[in-house]
Amino acid sequence: MNFEEFQNCSRLYVIGALEPEELEQFEAARKKFGTKAEDFISECYALHEAFALSLRPAKSSAALKERLMSMVRKRQQP
Amino acid sequence: MSLGLERRPSQNPFPAFWQPSSAPCAGFALLKKSYLASRLPVKVYREQPTTPRRGSVETVGRRWWRRLKLSDGWHLSMNRKSQTATRAEAEMGDGLHSRTTALELEPGAPSDVDLMRGIQAQDPEALSQLYDRYNGILKAFILRVIHNDAEADDLLQEVFMEIWRQAKNFSAKKGKPLGWMVTLARRRAIDALRKKKAYMRAEERLQIETERQPNAWVHNATEEQIRSDDTRLLMSRAINSLPEAQQQAVELAFFQGMSQREIAANTNIPLGTVKTRLELGLKKIYDALKGLKDEL
Repeated sequence: MNFEEFQNCSRLYVIGALEPEELEQFEAARKKFGTKAEDFISECYALHEAFALSLRPAKSSAALKERLMSMVRKRQQP
Repeated sequence: MSLGLERRPSQNPFPAFWQPSSAPCAGFALLKKSYLASRLPVKVYREQPTTPRRGSVETVGRRWWRRLKLSDGWHLSMNRKSQTATRAEAEMGDGLHSRTTALELEPGAPSDVDLMRGIQAQDPEALSQLYDRYNGILKAFILRVIHNDAEADDLLQEVFMEIWRQAKNFSAKKGKPLGWMVTLARRRAIDALRKKKAYMRAEERLQIETERQPNAWVHNATEEQIRSDDTRLLMSRAINSLPEAQQQAVELAFFQGMSQREIAANTNIPLGTVKTRLELGLKKIYDALKGLKDEL
């Protein structure tokens, strides 16, 4: 697998779309390309952010935050 | 032709008519703030090659200059970098490292990374602020996967609890907080979707979704709303510009969590074709994202 093919696989990898047999090859190439590969995979995770940012924010219920914060504070108590 | 008033570092060049009471349109406050905060080119002038609609903010040309018609024939023209740099500086406090920030922050507001550090130190207030900042984006994302408002709220709560518990695993060196949070949200949402089991075949789901919310990725906000967020606009355009077949493949893989084989089975498309469509679609989105970063 050359680096361009690895890049294509990386984009599929970060969204979990690689098939098991491809995953094996991908991991081998990942080892082969080392830091360069890890850096590229990190960059690919920005795809997640891009998809989220393409959506219009949705409203959530007002009670939700209260519930969340209450749970968090309960967890903090010794 | 520009008639002067180009930015000088030591001066505040806002003419008297640029007071808040005379703000000519909704985008004015942002432009003014950007102008004051950025170190990048902004011009005020009385002439321009074409005349935009009064009170409108328009994106002009390949250099992304924006222009705003003020009063008495005056116009403002601003390089795209001026606006986005301001957002990034507000977000990170240290320059252009956060180039796809989703929200415009008040000056002095803590950056996302600051908030993550606060959460790592078990400060509930930091989580509260992070929630206020991103609950809308994360909920939209979860809804895009599971299409059920009540379930989305439940999952959103779980996601923020996970952020609270797993914050120690976040490293700013590996990426930005929003990317990390979206990754958590996506995993939760897709897990929930898989647990339901009774969901319709993907093709039918997609068809129904398309009818209910046409072009949902990119047209679920009015143009004016989209315009208020440059990043969203650019990303929406990038996704919308994909051929329909590639959009469908990316939609099923990303928002439905399907493997290539599952997509092929659900759409009756050969596996090799699915792979090609996914690779091409993701590459185009990735390149657009990279282009956006380079632009900034």
